[in-house]
Amino acid sequence: MTGSGGHSLQRRLLVTMALGFVILLMLISALLWTYARASANRPHDLLLAGTALSILERISVGPDGATVDLPNSAMEILSLNPVDRVLYRVFVPGGRNLTGAADLPAPSDLAPSAEPVFFEDAYGGAQFRFVIQSRQLSTAEGRQWFAVQIGQTVELRNAEQLSFFATSLVGLAGLSLIGLGFVWVAIRTSLAPLRQVAADLAQREPADLGRVVGTPPREIKGLFDAINGFIERLGRNRALTETFIADVAHQTRTSLSAMQGHLSLAVDADDPAQMRSRLIKADRQATRTVRLTNQLLANAMVIHRSDRSNLEPVALRPLVRDILAEMLRDSRMRHISLSFLDGGIEAGQDMILGDAVSIREALRNLIENAVRHGPPDNTVTISLDATDTELVLKVEDAGPGIAEADLSRATQRFTSLSENSMGSGLGLSIVKAVTDGHGADLSLGRSSLGGLGVTLIFKRLLAVLFLVLCPVWSGTPAQADTLVIHSATDTPAMQPLIEAFESRMPEVDVEYVEFQTLDLYRAMLAEADTARPDVVISSAMDLQVDLVNRGLALRTQLSVQSAPPNWAVWRSELFGFTFEPAVVVYDTRAISKEELPVSHRELATFVRDNEERFRGRIGTYDIAQSGIGYLYATQDSLQGPQALRLFEVLGRADLKTYCCTSEMVEATARGELAFAFNAIGSYAAAQVASEPNLGLHFFDDYNLVMTRTAFIPKEARQAELGARFIEFLLSREGQRIIADKTPLLPLIRESEQQSLIGREIQARLGTFLPIRLTPGLLTYLDELKRNDFMSAWETSLRR
Amino acid sequence: MRMLLVEDNEDLAETILDRLRAEGHSVDHERDGNEANELLRHFKFDIVLLDVNLPGRSGYEVLRSLRNRSDETPVIILTARSQIDDRVIGLDAGADDYMIKPVDFRELSARCRVLARRRAGAASNIFTAGALVFDRAAKQAKIDGRDAQLRAREIQLLEIMIDNMGRMLTKEDVADRLYSFEEAPSLNAVEQLVTRLRRKLEGTPLVIKTARGLGYIAYLAEDD
Repeated sequence: MTGSGGHSLQRRLLVTMALGFVILLMLISALLWTYARASANRPHDLLLAGTALSILERISVGPDGATVDLPNSAMEILSLNPVDRVLYRVFVPGGRNLTGAADLPAPSDLAPSAEPVFFEDAYGGAQFRFVIQSRQLSTAEGRQWFAVQIGQTVELRNAEQLSFFATSLVGLAGLSLIGLGFVWVAIRTSLAPLRQVAADLAQREPADLGRVVGTPPREIKGLFDAINGFIERLGRNRALTETFIADVAHQTRTSLSAMQGHLSLAVDADDPAQMRSRLIKADRQATRTVRLTNQLLANAMVIHRSDRSNLEPVALRPLVRDILAEMLRDSRMRHISLSFLDGGIEAGQDMILGDAVSIREALRNLIENAVRHGPPDNTVTISLDATDTELVLKVEDAGPGIAEADLSRATQRFTSLSENSMGSGLGLSIVKAVTDGHGADLSLGRSSLGGLGVTLIFKRLLAVLFLVLCPVWSGTPAQADTLVIHSATDTPAMQPLIEAFESRMPEVDVEYVEFQTLDLYRAMLAEADTARPDVVISSAMDLQVDLVNRGLALRTQLSVQSAPPNWAVWRSELFGFTFEPAVVVYDTRAISKEELPVSHRELATFVRDNEERFRGRIGTYDIAQSGIGYLYATQDSLQGPQALRLFEVLGRADLKTYCCTSEMVEATARGELAFAFNAIGSYAAAQVASEPNLGLHFFDDYNLVMTRTAFIPKEARQAELGARFIEFLLSREGQRIIADKTPLLPLIRESEQQSLIGREIQARLGTFLPIRLTPGLLTYLDELKRNDFMSAWETSLRR
Repeated sequence: MRMLLVEDNEDLAETILDRLRAEGHSVDHERDGNEANELLRHFKFDIVLLDVNLPGRSGYEVLRSLRNRSDETPVIILTARSQIDDRVIGLDAGADDYMIKPVDFRELSARCRVLARRRAGAASNIFTAGALVFDRAAKQAKIDGRDAQLRAREIQLLEIMIDNMGRMLTKEDVADRLYSFEEAPSLNAVEQLVTRLRRKLEGTPLVIKTARGLGYIAYLAEDD
């Protein structure tokens, strides 16, 4: 059933069925795709709605008009989704924006409703899913609608949709495969009768031409009948061949015995005249035998050559010309008027797939027929005409022609229609074999000259043009490999890292530009196209999250070894690479180690109880000035109400504020401060090491940890190089350099910590509370929220 | 004429020899390719009849070395193979004609005569065919001893036809040989020229046969 190169019925059925399954799968896929989307949306929409509701509840109308206190829980809810960026705004429908991004898209026909309205829209080049929910509040102007709009990119939804879709599809595909398996079994069973026929035929003796017996199923009865029909024809054909062989034997033997007879008589003849006449007859008989033999050989050769696939492109016109020119040399052709009309065919228009030897034999036989059967001064016209798809070769003569009634059998072997023209009856059957071998048409008719007209119609070979496609090679222009880093970190702290990176990649130059955290943030927002950095590094985690949330960062695949812990990475775009705990720096002369409170709560009590002792001698960040200070303070406030109490207590004790850790530590070293609260541990540790009177202190309840983060902006020119740099920061080598050669602390700790603070950290690992890189950090960047927090802070400090 | 028959089949050779000798030719016979090759090195023949399948060295090799010696002796290849490939090799190797066995003796004689005529016409200055006498050096044709009054072009054409006797010449072939490149002849002019020459040659055995769409072929009617 499977032949080389042939079709397999089984395969064809299977392919058809498989196609059917595929089409079915595609239909199901279309439905599944929509369903997967709905399924992916459902939980995320709940989160969105929950967020909207939680913000909606915090809208209040005060004497200064409406305001909103963004709850931290809102963004934390959305942070449950570890991937997507977040947008929000609170606004009066058709009126002013209270807070958040004012330019978020909203449906034009949106009517304020207490029910959440979901829709998808593009914003800033990315697809977002939005929810809008509204609420009516009584204001001075009467009842008014307030709306909250939350947007989230749809990356996770897309991923979940795809995963749901793929999982379902794999299941369906599996089912389809099982279905196909059944189909396969069914096909094999159904095809059993065919195998039976095959076995029957395979076991047959060549001589056995009996019918294939059996009761075939309806579907293959046709094939069955066809096989039996073919066997019958084969039988007839064999009979014909047997007749042919008998005919050949008969003809040759008759011819030879006639010749032999004439020759014997000539040998025995006494009378020279009688002998001569016998010899003349023998000679004529010999000529006839020669011709018969030649034609039998030509017939065999033509049939043999038609069996082989030896057709090649042949130009018909020059071939015909050559044959005719050659035949004209024969002295028997001298009185024949031979013409060749080529109908003005141009070179190249006369190509066929043919076998020159066979065509020569056919044409020679046709012309010899004309010469043999016609008068000595016969006119023979050979014409060649081209149509769009065919070449028509016609041989016409002015001889007696063939009677209409005999035309059909003229091409059969040994049907010489004329008894006295020395015809073997093979000439036209040779022509027939040649045309059959060429897939050409042969037709016999009356010629315009009065005799036989033989038309051979060949299929033209059309020129095929090959298009040679030259691959266009374009090299990428070489660029100077300069990695531009914009960073809010002291240059000396980064220097050892940059030097190590440069020595590792000698062809790379690093350009390091130092910024303050806020300046860097504003520069990144300014969208100035000049001096786009390749890596942005900052200690202000919230600002970095905001930049990334705005879609400014490029997704970066880091190698597995350098993967930072979960809390220090967001969206594969923002990566933390240091571990910087907040710490208390104290003056050992003013306060003893044992005295130091072990928790934030106790710190409040301790300061309240010793208010006069510490008045003006406690320092911390000025959160209005310092991003880190603000981050630490807001994160403290999230840990519970005791934080606010602590601020109040510290305020009563005349808390002093500083711009930065170094000043706080210096003030403590000078004895101006008893202790400094929420200093950056890494910097402080470096300073404390050279001050004999200073100590570091961690709490037992929790210690906030921030991390310095890096991302690659979308417009980076050397994004690949930037990725290598971040990978380097997170590599073992990079982390070791951070530990050994910079005042910073490594994110990924190696086994043994050498430094004092390192050992401290090691000793109380469970108490460190890393600030997570999530959209939750956006809460305190909200303008209203920030103003609220700042004024609460100012109030606590009684300013 | 002095002829060489190279044929290893004794019976066939004998019949051909008898036939040709009966026509008054002096015919040598060789059975071996190498010996034939040696003979051809040292003696000149008017026509060589060359079998293909020979002991020693094949007919084609004999022919090739003959032509490599710049020997232009006319050669007719006799072959029992009927396929075109053999013919092409034969003609490309420099044969003047070929015949397929079994050979019709009348046809063989006719072909030999044509070749002999062609060679004689080219080799000597005087070509005689029945009443026609053509003096190549004097550029003059006489019929029955009288000047045939051929013009220069007709003389040229006659010379071309005699040189290519028994060979098909297309109209373009004739024009190329008759006219220089600058003269830009019309094929019509060739036709008219042939018609004129044919008329003037009436009564002589030289026939210029026209095959429409193919060209011209010259032969001597007395040969039949």
